[in-house]
Amino acid sequence: MIDEDVANAVLGMAQARPGVSLAEVRLEETASRHLAVKASEVNSITSFVDAGMNIRIVLPTGIGFASTNKISKQEGVRIVRQAFKLAKNSAAKTSVSFYPEQPVRTTWTVSQKRKLADVTIEDRLSYLRGIDSAVMKTKVKVHGRYYELKDREISSYFTNSEGSRISSFLPRLSLEVQNLVSHKGETEQSVREFGATGGWERTEEWNLAKRLAEEVKMLRTQIEKGKRAKPGVMDLVCGPEVAGIAAHESCGHPMEADRILGREMSQAGRSFVTPDMIGKKIGSRYATVVDDPTVPGSYGYYAYDQEGVKARPRYLYKEGLINEFLHNRETASRLGVHSNGSSRSQYYLREPIVRMANTFVAPGDFEDDELIGSVKNGVLMHSFTEWNIDDKRYNQKYVSREAYFVKDGELAGPARKVVIEVTTPGFWGAIDAVSKKIGYTAAECGKGDPVQGMAVYTGGPMLRLRGVSLR
Amino acid sequence: MNELRETASRLVETARSAGANDAIAEAIDCTITQVRFSNSQVDAVNWWNERHVEMFVAVGRRVLASDVRDMDRAEKIARDMVATAARSPENKSYGGIASGRFKYGRSKVDPRLASMESPSKFVHNAIAGAEAEGADNVGGTFFMRRVRTGIASSGGALAADERVSADLSVRAFSQPEASGHSVLCATTYSGLNARETGERAGRLAVMAKNPVQGHDGKTDIVIEPLFLGVLNQSTANMLSALRVEIGFSMYAKKIGKQVASKGITYVDDPTMDSTSRRLFDHEGVPTRRNTLISKGVLKTYLHDTTTARRFKTKTTANAGPIIPSQFLIAGQPVAFHPCVLPGDWKTDEMVSDTKQGLYMNNTWYTRFQNDVTGEFSTIPRDAILKIENGEIVGAVKNIRVSDNLLRLWKNIDAVSEPTQEVHWWEEATPPSTLPTVRIRGMNITRSQ
Repeated sequence: MIDEDVANAVLGMAQARPGVSLAEVRLEETASRHLAVKASEVNSITSFVDAGMNIRIVLPTGIGFASTNKISKQEGVRIVRQAFKLAKNSAAKTSVSFYPEQPVRTTWTVSQKRKLADVTIEDRLSYLRGIDSAVMKTKVKVHGRYYELKDREISSYFTNSEGSRISSFLPRLSLEVQNLVSHKGETEQSVREFGATGGWERTEEWNLAKRLAEEVKMLRTQIEKGKRAKPGVMDLVCGPEVAGIAAHESCGHPMEADRILGREMSQAGRSFVTPDMIGKKIGSRYATVVDDPTVPGSYGYYAYDQEGVKARPRYLYKEGLINEFLHNRETASRLGVHSNGSSRSQYYLREPIVRMANTFVAPGDFEDDELIGSVKNGVLMHSFTEWNIDDKRYNQKYVSREAYFVKDGELAGPARKVVIEVTTPGFWGAIDAVSKKIGYTAAECGKGDPVQGMAVYTGGPMLRLRGVSLR
Repeated sequence: MNELRETASRLVETARSAGANDAIAEAIDCTITQVRFSNSQVDAVNWWNERHVEMFVAVGRRVLASDVRDMDRAEKIARDMVATAARSPENKSYGGIASGRFKYGRSKVDPRLASMESPSKFVHNAIAGAEAEGADNVGGTFFMRRVRTGIASSGGALAADERVSADLSVRAFSQPEASGHSVLCATTYSGLNARETGERAGRLAVMAKNPVQGHDGKTDIVIEPLFLGVLNQSTANMLSALRVEIGFSMYAKKIGKQVASKGITYVDDPTMDSTSRRLFDHEGVPTRRNTLISKGVLKTYLHDTTTARRFKTKTTANAGPIIPSQFLIAGQPVAFHPCVLPGDWKTDEMVSDTKQGLYMNNTWYTRFQNDVTGEFSTIPRDAILKIENGEIVGAVKNIRVSDNLLRLWKNIDAVSEPTQEVHWWEEATPPSTLPTVRIRGMNITRSQ
C-alpha cells in the first residue's frame, strides 16, 4: 500500500526550503514477475516487490533529483536535503523554469480481466510450453527457443507543490522471443517482443502459437527460396512493423524537444530538427505520424505523465509537415508552449525525461492489396532484422526479415535480406499511399543516462514508397 | 562492509533453515551522483541510493531469484522465497552453485575520491577544456559511483567488496555537424583529469570541422578505444556461454578456431585496477584474469557453475547478476572488464602507415542481421577523419560500417601500444581497456 502521508510530508519538507519554484514527490510500488524458458525448460524464475520514492526540486539555479528504495519520513529528510543541495549548486547559466500547469486531482487505473498476480507459475510455464510445442510441430529446425515473460503491476502516487495529487495503477506484461532457424547450413533469426497493458487476457490476443509457428516456417522458406534483390531504384511496400520502426526512429526521436534542445547530446544525440522548423516540409502529404499514449491496452499506455500532465495524442508529422514536438514541462517552458504530457521515467529511481509512448503512422484509405497491386517492380518488406539510425536521426537502415519481390502487382517469391538505407526526408517524401489497417509492435525504447528502457508501441498501416534505392 | 556481508550470510542461513539446498545472497549498497550537462551548462544533478539484496535459492532443481528491496522484511521474504521455489517447476538444466574454500583479494579505495564533494567542479573544468580547444557547445555526463557489496552462499562464499570510481563523458561540438568525444574512467582523485578529457574532445571537434559526404566502398579504418569499446559490447556478450547455448553467437562451435587476427589477445580481467574491478562474481567465486582469445584463437567462453557443468568445464568466475537487466538474458555469465592486450604500434604510426582510409573516434547503434555469422552494421559518430597518404586531410560524415564482426576482428593488422579504459553510456559497456586498432578493407555504406 502506498503511504500518501509520507509523500505529502516529504513535499512539505521541500516546500519549506527557500526559493523552491517547484517540488514533486513520487512514491511507487511495483510487483515484478519473470519466467524464462529455454527449449521448453525453465531457465530462470524471478519475483520481487520494489518500493521507493523520489523528489525533484526546481530552483532558478538548477534541477535536483534524489531517490531511494526506502519509504519513510526520515528518509524523506535525507533526499530533500540532497535534492535541494544539488539544485542549488548546479549553477545553471540560464534560469531554470517549468511551464505552469493546472493542478490535477485524480485516480486512474488499468483494469485486468484476469489479474496478473493470480496467474500461477505453472500457468505461465504451460503458456510458454504451448507456444514452443507449436513451433516444434512445424518440424522446422529451431535453436534458441528462448522465451522470456515479464509482468509488472505498478502502483504510484504523485504530488507536487502546485497541488496535484494523482494515484494510479498500471499492470503491464511483455514476452520476448528469440528463435533461430537453421536449414542447409544457413541460419535466419527472429527476435520479437510482444507487450500490452492489462491482465493475462492480453496474452490470448497475441495468438502466438500460430504466429510464431508461421514465422519459423517463413524463415526456413527465406533460406530455401529467398533471393537477393538486384540493387537499384524500385518501389517498396512497407508492412506495419517497418512503418512502425521508421515512425519511431526517424519521426518520434527527432521530435523529442529535449533532444532538439541538446539535452541528450552526449548520449542518444541531437536532432536534425531545430526549434524553428515547425511547419517545415519533411515528407509527402501522406506522411502523418502520431504519438498517442492513450491507445487502450497499448504497451505504452498512460493517462497522466510523470509530471501530472494529462496524456493526449500528439501529431508529430502532419500531412508531411513538422507539426508538434514531444514536450515535458521544462522543454515546454524553454519553447514557450504547454507540455503535451511526454514526461516518463522507467521507475522511481530515475529522473523523468521526454519519451515517446505509442508512435505510429496514421492510417489512410487504401486496402493492403491495392498497395501491392499497383507496384510493377518492387519489394514488399513485412518485417526487419538489423536496423539503425544516426544520432541526428537522419540516416537510417532497415534490413528485411520477411520480404517478397513484387512483379506486375503480384508477389513473386521471397526476397532475402533486402536493404533500404535512406535519409529521413527520403523515406517520408517517397510515400504515395497508405493503407487502412494499422498494426502495432511492442518495443523497449532506450534513452537517458543511465539508460531507461521504456515500454512503447511502434506501428502503422502499409506504406507504399515510390522509387527508392534498394539492394 | 562487514554489515553487508553479515546481512548476506544471515539471509543464506535463513534460506537454508527454511529448506533451500543452495542459496546465494548479495547485499548491495549503491550511491551514485550524476551531473548531466549540455549546451556548455549543467542541466540536472541526480543522486540515488539503493540498499537491497539480490538473492537466489534452489530447492533441489527448483530455483527462484528475487531482489529483496524491503530490508525490514528481508528474512520473511527469504523464507517465502524458499516456499515459492519448492512449489515451482524444475529447472532441469540447473547445475548448482560453486562450492569451495575461497580466498579473496582486498578492495582498493582512494579515500580522497570516496569523500569527494561538488562533482560539478569537474564538469566545469571539462567544459572549459573543450572550449579552450575551440568547441562552442559541450555536453556530457559525470558519474561518481560508490558501490559496497557483501556476498554469502551455501557453497562457502563469504566476502565483501567496495568500489569507488568516477567516469566522465564529454562530447564537444565546433559546428552542428562537427564533434569529438572523449571519456575518462578514474579510480583515484588524482586521475580525474577532467580538463584534459574536455580538451581532447574539443581538439577532435575542431579536426572534424567542415565534413563532406563520405563514400561507400571498401576502406581501411583506424578506430579509437572508444569505438572498439562499443563493438566490444557485442563481442563480450557473444562470448557468454548462455548466448552460445541458445545459438545467438558468432562464437558458437569455434573453440580452438581462429576468430581474430594473430595480433589479438582478449582477456577479461576484473582483478586489474579499473572502474569495474571486483573481488568476486555473482556466485561469490573469486574473480580472475581469463584469456578468452589468445593470438586470435578462441580458448573459452564466459562461464558460471551451471553453464560450465553443461559445457563440461569449470566456471571462469563470470557469473552474472542474479536479477536480469534490460540487455542481459537472465542468468547470463558476463564479462566484467574485457581487455585487448597492447600491441607495438604508436597511434600516429597507424595513420602515417595508412595510404587511404578513415580515422574514427566513436560509433553507436550496432545491430546484427545474423548473430551466428556476425553480419552487422554500426554508425560512426563524432570525428570521422579522412586519411590520404598517411595524413589526415579532412573530415567526412553520414556513413555506416556495414560488414561482419568476425571479419572485422580477423582483419585487424595493427594494435597500438597505448591502451585506455573506456566506458560510455549504454554503448561502450562494460568498462574495458582497449587499444587503437587498424582494420583492413571494411565495407562502408551510406544513404542512397
